[in-house]
Amino acid sequence: KTLVVMLSLQFSLLPITKTKTCTLSPNFKPLLHVQNLHCFRASPHLYRPLCATAQNVIVEENDVVNGTVADGGAPAQDVLLLPAGLRRELMPKHVAVIMDGNRRWARMRELPVWSGYEAGIRALRVLVELCCRWGIRVLTVFAFSSDNWFRPKVEVDFLMSLFEKGTKDELDNFLREDIQISIIGDSSKLPESLQELITNAEEATKHNSRLQLIVAVSYSGHYDILQACQSIALKVKDGLIEPEEINELLIEQELETNCTEIPYPDLLIRTSGELRVSNFLLWQLAYTELFFAQSHWPDFGEAEFLEALRSFQQRQRRYGSRDS
Amino acid sequence: MDLEDEMQKVFCWIAQIGNLWFRLLWHILHLILSLWYFAVCIAHAFENSLISCGLLKRYKVLNSGRVQYLALVVDSEEARQTSKVIELLQCLAAIGVKNVCLYDTEGVLKKSKKAILERLGNAKLFEEATKNVPLLDKKHVTLEFASFSDGKEAVAKAANLLFAKYYLGDQEQPIFTESHLAEALRAIGSGGPDPDLLLVYGHTRCHMGFPAWRIRYTEIVYMGPLKSMKYGSLIKAIHKFTMVRQNYGK
Repeated sequence: KTLVVMLSLQFSLLPITKTKTCTLSPNFKPLLHVQNLHCFRASPHLYRPLCATAQNVIVEENDVVNGTVADGGAPAQDVLLLPAGLRRELMPKHVAVIMDGNRRWARMRELPVWSGYEAGIRALRVLVELCCRWGIRVLTVFAFSSDNWFRPKVEVDFLMSLFEKGTKDELDNFLREDIQISIIGDSSKLPESLQELITNAEEATKHNSRLQLIVAVSYSGHYDILQACQSIALKVKDGLIEPEEINELLIEQELETNCTEIPYPDLLIRTSGELRVSNFLLWQLAYTELFFAQSHWPDFGEAEFLEALRSFQQRQRRYGSRDS
Repeated sequence: MDLEDEMQKVFCWIAQIGNLWFRLLWHILHLILSLWYFAVCIAHAFENSLISCGLLKRYKVLNSGRVQYLALVVDSEEARQTSKVIELLQCLAAIGVKNVCLYDTEGVLKKSKKAILERLGNAKLFEEATKNVPLLDKKHVTLEFASFSDGKEAVAKAANLLFAKYYLGDQEQPIFTESHLAEALRAIGSGGPDPDLLLVYGHTRCHMGFPAWRIRYTEIVYMGPLKSMKYGSLIKAIHKFTMVRQNYGK
């Protein structure tokens, strides 16, 4: 199945469109213009390197004029580096992920559970990088559910220390890569050191705009809706709003996802083949495309993300309205 | 210069030959993948037929009792095909699923409620049927009809109700709990049970605004367009659900 997916990604099943591959070697630049060579989106490589080089940038034919992008004059290597088969205008703005399967991944390999979580962190790093590269604006990940507090204490403590270490280690990277970090969930249950670290990280990155990474820790969709209702009741009591003004829009504004301008995910990915949302972003997922991936979270990499994005781009979204 | 021109011509010729070979290879691979997907479709259709005829041993015995409450989310346009909806409900009844919530965004199914209940014969409305008898004891099919107004709008009404009940006046003002909200939703008539399984019929793989409060741990399965509904696919989806073991985050 993996081979089929990779082949279908690399050799798009859509009609062939001719593109120009911009090679920036000065020796052949004049030749490219004179001969008007055509190359296809198919790449002989099954995997694209994580760091795209100038040699394998592919842009739409009509976007390129004299080796530069027609809509802004930016050099070809600065345009959005989308893999073949993905259309820029159909990219989701907000992707949510339920990172499921770390423990099963570890058990399958006869490794301790901690290895699974650490592998999960590595997979998250890859996904963040891909989102930055492909222009996704918001990435929300379900790191720790309110139900997960019932796991063995030693496991919970390890996870808390992993969050702390991960946040410390990645803060410089977030600042460098212009990534804003936001945490949603009931942070009152988290260790104080982690709470302080989160507050500092959020403050330090609040002006970053390339990607907003929202990490749901100690989060419950039920609780999110409930605290919104509570918050509204208090505001009505304090005279800030009238009871007649209580509507869905007001509730949306009080949800924890009000930390972002794009609170509703376009695409939800859940790994490990489970077909449920497990109390994650219940209100926000009304018209979110659901993609259930079979691989466990530590194995969710570029190819799997591409498959999810391609599947998303092929679907017809109508947000509850009729076709025009 | 002549040598350079010649070399450029040679390279150009090589590039063109190379492109032709890549193009041929692309077409061959495209053909192979198309045939593969076609074969997979045929295999699925064949499997559905075998399941419908009861020839596949694995699906003969179905523990449909595990599906205590099933939700059907139907695209509002497809929901206008009442006969197809009724056929689906009849299939579910034949499988042994007795409690069904029918949902579509625009409330088309609510408008067809009477027609659906009449055609099914032994069906009752969920609100009337569950007054004194628990879900599992029913001999007939219970149907609940829901729409977008039972989702987000209902939560807003419930929030209003909670405010009015606890925050007007001088009584003690509690911190709302999930029980408070669940009770408020029941009071306004939008407090049905959480479905175990939610089947989505339509063109988009989303639950189209099904009441969010109720789908915390609901298994969600996309079934394709309603017009392509197959009995075999239904059995397969329910069978797969009966094999799932949830740990609820623990």
